[in-house]
Amino acid sequence: MSGLKASAPFQHSGRNVAQLMQTLLYALLPGVFASLWFFGFGILINIAIAISFAVCAEAAMLRLRNRDIRSHLSDRSAFVTAILFAIAIPPGSPWWLVALGILFAIVIAKHLYGGLGQNPFNPAMCGYAMLLLAFPLEMTGWHIPNEVINGQLAVDSLGIPTSPEREFLNPLSWEGFKQALLLAFPFAASGATNVSEFVDGLAMATPLIEFKMAGKSAILAARESGASLFARDSETAWEIINIGYLFGGLFLLYKKIISWHIPLAIIATIFVLAALFYAPGSVTIYGTPYLHLLGSATMIGAFFIATDPVSAATTRPGKLVYGIIIGASIYSIRVWGSYLDSIAFAVLFGNFCAPILDQYCRPRMFGHGLSSKSRRNEEALEP
Amino acid sequence: MSALKQLASRFFGGNTVFARRTVGGIQPLPFKEHSLRSRIMSTPIPQQLTIPIGAEESGQISLLVGIGDQVRKYQRLAVISLHTDGRSDVPVHAPTSGVITSIENSIVADHSEQQQRCIGLAVDGHDEALQLEPHSDYSQLPSTDIVSLIRDAGIIGMGGAGFPAADKLSKCGDSAPEFLIINAAECEPYITADEALLRERAGKVVAGAKILKRASAAQRYIIAIEDTKPDAIAALQQALQDDTSPETPCELVLIPSKYPAGSERQLIQCVTGREIASGQHPTENGVVMHNVGTAYAVYEAIVEGKPCISRFTTLCGKALKTPKNFEALIGTAADFLFELCGIEANNKQMSIVGGSLMGNELTSDKAVICKTTNCLIAACASEIATSKPEQACIRCGFCADVCPSKLLPQQLLAFSRTTDTTQLIEHGLFDCIECGACDYVCPSHIPLVSTYKKSKKVIETRQQSLECSDYWQQRFQFRQYRIKKEKEQALSRKTDSSTKPARTAERTAKALSEAADFISKEQASRDIAAAVARVKARRDEKNK
Repeated sequence: MSGLKASAPFQHSGRNVAQLMQTLLYALLPGVFASLWFFGFGILINIAIAISFAVCAEAAMLRLRNRDIRSHLSDRSAFVTAILFAIAIPPGSPWWLVALGILFAIVIAKHLYGGLGQNPFNPAMCGYAMLLLAFPLEMTGWHIPNEVINGQLAVDSLGIPTSPEREFLNPLSWEGFKQALLLAFPFAASGATNVSEFVDGLAMATPLIEFKMAGKSAILAARESGASLFARDSETAWEIINIGYLFGGLFLLYKKIISWHIPLAIIATIFVLAALFYAPGSVTIYGTPYLHLLGSATMIGAFFIATDPVSAATTRPGKLVYGIIIGASIYSIRVWGSYLDSIAFAVLFGNFCAPILDQYCRPRMFGHGLSSKSRRNEEALEP
Repeated sequence: MSALKQLASRFFGGNTVFARRTVGGIQPLPFKEHSLRSRIMSTPIPQQLTIPIGAEESGQISLLVGIGDQVRKYQRLAVISLHTDGRSDVPVHAPTSGVITSIENSIVADHSEQQQRCIGLAVDGHDEALQLEPHSDYSQLPSTDIVSLIRDAGIIGMGGAGFPAADKLSKCGDSAPEFLIINAAECEPYITADEALLRERAGKVVAGAKILKRASAAQRYIIAIEDTKPDAIAALQQALQDDTSPETPCELVLIPSKYPAGSERQLIQCVTGREIASGQHPTENGVVMHNVGTAYAVYEAIVEGKPCISRFTTLCGKALKTPKNFEALIGTAADFLFELCGIEANNKQMSIVGGSLMGNELTSDKAVICKTTNCLIAACASEIATSKPEQACIRCGFCADVCPSKLLPQQLLAFSRTTDTTQLIEHGLFDCIECGACDYVCPSHIPLVSTYKKSKKVIETRQQSLECSDYWQQRFQFRQYRIKKEKEQALSRKTDSSTKPARTAERTAKALSEAADFISKEQASRDIAAAVARVKARRDEKNK
């Protein structure tokens, strides 16, 4: 009888890859919404551009490889790659940047290695790293529809406004949407030579720069000053976003889509390193453990990117070591390296190590490696 | 923890303890309630029985009857001497009286998918039986006698593996095992034969266990059952209470209900904490395990003197109106039992022998019940998982989480695809018990177990051909050596003109004895067996 399983087992749990990917997408929602709230439509535009190019690239590659397009697209892996990639790219990036990155991710990092399940490196992070190396300028500024330029805005050396009475443009307004669109598609502003004439955006460096200088929790600061946590001017954005991804990650753990080994190892390693090197009161760049965990992209990295099963270590002890390697790399690159967004390089470095971890960090098989002593040492049943 | 255990044992009765949790495992839908609604039913005697003796490859068959012979119930029909280390004999008995009509190969409802040599019996309906020799006072019998009685009754492991019960007992050798475990963990979905047996005849099972304990001289004997079978547990507790003999009492261990809890090594670990090393037999570690059905058969064989002519089989599946458990005569055809359960033939999509996780598709409903057929499923389309197109392995590791042998199925799959024999063996391919838990959870619908089975076969055949080529290389080298020697002799003969025929004969004899040393008899017989197998395989291929 065709259509039914012909060999044992004749039962199945009913889980499938598309479901797993779908759950992953749901788990991203809190973080994405937080981003949307604080940074405006840029992230949605990134996601839209990334998904459309990812789907086209995936379909084209499947066709070239003579695979069934429908069934392979329906596993939703391309969507996951696209969204993870789009989240990592600064909102307000031009469309070609997003498109280039995602094409690199899908075509080169995924399909040229044999498609889903065969890629040794995380495709989204490959795309991101490629962009970071090729377009460092575009990749390190976060264009945020910020405030109505009135000509007298005082800006400090890092581009952070110092003027206390700032009038924020609501990034979720129509005006904000228009600005985000213009940033993504500069050619749409016909006749204009400089986008910044139209966009009242502000290039803001990635958040860890601030923390390298300041080193104080924005949430705590906001609570002290009585500002609302969700007010855009209270600068709690990154912490709230990270908490959003943390909740998403906990949801994945609860749903048993990912195991606890990798996220816990990463978070614990970063925490321990940050606690070791943090010197209170000093003006060095070592941030507090809290800021290392919630200040930058640590949570999305630990729960969503490093746990990509295809490129991660697959054995349980291997996963722990893999997490430790990534956690240590994240911290080292941030603190001693020249890149601030260290998740991508750390994860790629972890990917390099994964095969050897799988070979050497294996769990003991049942009935193997028993010394005669341990066999005798068994716990007897109480009569 | 021990306080909890004590509390629990007070609640459940004297000797009940809870076992530890085991690694891995899954909890599939059990589908057990339907076949447990009614009591065990003895089948009416069918018109025709086809009594399986065994596969010709597995042993030497000696027939004790011929076509046309009139036989009586319990009469010995044939004996198969299995090709195991012990070369043990398993006799086959007539389940009822009648005339032998045929002796041919036929399909049997068991796991091997092989045809077995079967004896056709046209039933006369008189059910004339031989006089039985009961030993109701087995406590007077020496253990060697019990073992030989069990052997004469033709009892093999009723759980599915079908290892001769007497061999398991005698395998313990001189040292008495510490544990005798009666395996009542029936973890696979659909199957309820053991549970039904315990609900209704727990007393006889306990008595059978006691006989087994006596035969094996085990220090402790334990019945292990899942904690999700309250009726069977209650019946067992009642039986244990009723048992007033002064011997060490039987212990009842409740194990967590998880598939594959009933697997031998896993259960031993769960109950005793002993991990049997890979490649070792449990008896080498002081544990001997028997199935509930085996214990019952042993009781019948000793106390009633009845040889093994029937077994408990679950008939279930949604295509049956009244699923139930049967005490079916060995040799009954599957379709006869299906009819008794009111089969809706249009609904049936597939017949499965065994449970839904380790069972095989039954190619024909004419297949007959053998001593290891624990379950027959007449499955509707809705009961069987649809075969989804296989997707890429994303190494999610769900399979490794459920593997009871703590293997890495995702890695084994990768090595199977590249036929990396060294890595496969190193990653424990031969420790895979083929339980199918990995298949069950795989989100990519990869047929993992069948892939591993294929890999095992590939490695085994490669090993055999390697041995074979080694052997032929040796023979070739010997031939070269012999030719060289002969040339040397010829030369020396030329130079030494005083050659005498006697010396030549002496030389020939010497060469011959050298040859005999070089090729041992064992090698020769193995060579012949391999050649026969090769010819057979070629013939089978042609036939296909």
